[in-house]
Amino acid sequence: MTATRGKFTQIVARHESVLLLVIVFEVVLFSMLGRNFLSESNVSNIFRHSVEIGLLALVMTPVILTGGIDLSVGSLVGLCAVVFGILVKESGMSPLAAGMIAVALGTFGGAMNAGLITRLKLPPLIVTLGTFSLFRGLAEAFTKGSESYSGFSDSFLALGNGSVAGLPTQLWIFFAVAAGVWVLVHRTTLGRSFRAIGYAPEGARYAGIPVERNISLAYVLSGAVAGLAAVILVARLGEARANAGVGYELLAITAVVLGGTSIFGGSGTIAGTLLGYLAVALLNNGLGRIISYKIFDQPVSSVARELSGMLTGLLLLGALAATVLAKSLATRRARAQTSPNPKPQTNP
Amino acid sequence: MNQRYFREWTVAGAFGLLMLSLLIFAPHFFQGQPLLSRVTSQMPALLAAIGITLVIVSRQIDISVGAQFSLCAVIAGLTASAGLPLGVAIGAAVGAGALMGALNGWLVAYLGLPSIVVTLATMVTWQEALRLWQQGRLIGLPDGVQWFGLGQASGQMLVIGFTAGVLIFSAWGMRNLAAGRFVYATGTDAEAARLAGIDPKRTTFGVFVLMGVLAGLAAVLNLVQSAQIQPNSGDGLELKIIAAAVVGGVAIQGGRGTLWGVLPGMLLLANVNPALTHFHQPPYWEKAIQGMVILLAVVADGLRTRKSSN
Repeated sequence: MTATRGKFTQIVARHESVLLLVIVFEVVLFSMLGRNFLSESNVSNIFRHSVEIGLLALVMTPVILTGGIDLSVGSLVGLCAVVFGILVKESGMSPLAAGMIAVALGTFGGAMNAGLITRLKLPPLIVTLGTFSLFRGLAEAFTKGSESYSGFSDSFLALGNGSVAGLPTQLWIFFAVAAGVWVLVHRTTLGRSFRAIGYAPEGARYAGIPVERNISLAYVLSGAVAGLAAVILVARLGEARANAGVGYELLAITAVVLGGTSIFGGSGTIAGTLLGYLAVALLNNGLGRIISYKIFDQPVSSVARELSGMLTGLLLLGALAATVLAKSLATRRARAQTSPNPKPQTNP
Repeated sequence: MNQRYFREWTVAGAFGLLMLSLLIFAPHFFQGQPLLSRVTSQMPALLAAIGITLVIVSRQIDISVGAQFSLCAVIAGLTASAGLPLGVAIGAAVGAGALMGALNGWLVAYLGLPSIVVTLATMVTWQEALRLWQQGRLIGLPDGVQWFGLGQASGQMLVIGFTAGVLIFSAWGMRNLAAGRFVYATGTDAEAARLAGIDPKRTTFGVFVLMGVLAGLAAVLNLVQSAQIQPNSGDGLELKIIAAAVVGGVAIQGGRGTLWGVLPGMLLLANVNPALTHFHQPPYWEKAIQGMVILLAVVADGLRTRKSSN
């Protein structure tokens, strides 16, 4: 009896299963309430409009696995987008070269976070909060607060709006990055070390893992992909402005945490992150498809951004609370059943 | 002693330098009435900075302060414009702040969730809920709300006096009251605090509630300074006050910092923008400068701890 219940709770408590249910629920709900939710063009739109968040979530996973956090990615997207726009429109650079510089700039931004966190042993939270402000501030300063850059060539805009082999162009980039990050996290010693560091940094050090170097790599990767996401975002919107990517860090963190990665570090999977991203992306898109229902005298579709933002916040809180409550329930049960020697919690 | 309060003195010195250079190169910065208005307008943020100092000293963070501030301001504004007395509006704002703070506090203290993620989530929840509810509408305030119906001169005095009172009481209380020492003890080492008979969970919870109350009071002090209120009046407040605290020498690892460092830190940062204007520099560098100042302060802390640990 206890064994079957244990197994049952194990399956239910696995984030991936709960998340799949949430996703199925979203699909059913939105296809009932929304207009053309499951039409071919909308399904490809779901991904087209959210690939940037998916990219950031993918590389946020290693960062959170090490027990860190990167709040600066949204601002870094803004800075890279603005620099890209300036290089193409004012310096007349080709989008390819400017894109490479944008990615290099993102890498540099990530390296700056990494250096401050590992060299000076500063908490990632405050470092990336500082760069969050700095990167966005630089983007605003470079555009003098209001300028934006548009009128890019059609061949560049195809990156954001075209299709290759029936799928949105940027989705192929996303697949490539997802495969790369999956291999990195689940099939390399480096990826394994991320979890070891997040689980017990001192233990990882004694095990001979170059802790500082590996943590640095996670932040550098996060920065580089933020640069890539910025280029894709500009290609999709056809415009580079200082407020590009505002709030993306929250969506990326939400996707990762929804996907079952422990916010304290040490455990999590890329598959979970992908599902978490899907749940967030469906919510964002689905609410925009609901036209016949009203909230505060406004059709849901016209306030979809606010509503989905609010629900994303609540979803994140719910997921966090559920993890902790499930964990404490499990420990209590284990303590009641077996040894009076509970495993120590790793909460800081 | 000198070594111990080095940071407080450095920040005060930097603020003094900024004022001195303004005095020499842009003396009209110090014209009476505009200066008084500017100081008054910085009081709400100072009040919120007192709250964030307590939060950071207890080794937590709260980035939902700006959203709390906006929501409290709208609640107070709507209550006042519904014809209810000002006291009720103030009570509603403070009550709403206390409730939002209690939610953060419960999730952080009793569920053991990291405050950064909790308050990130509550921040976006309140912010978007407010946008959904108000759609960016301005709320016109009835007569008698502005300056508490006392006229500008006495109203400004009341705002400044109230904030100064709270500041002095909090600075004294953090040093001398048992509750104040609990905050430092919890931030230094929660487990040691627990063994010493302090309840770190209750302390953390209380600190978040107090943060919410101060955000509500700050929203009221901001509300009374104008004839109408925007629904996003608190945007970016959390960064401003966290920056002020960090610059003022509050250690982000908890357990260290005084309000006498936060005060010059707040004044220094709050005057960057007016100073830029008076030096005829474009104002859009403000956020970048803010970020650089935070990072500089953090780097200085990091270098110091590295030196002392070697």
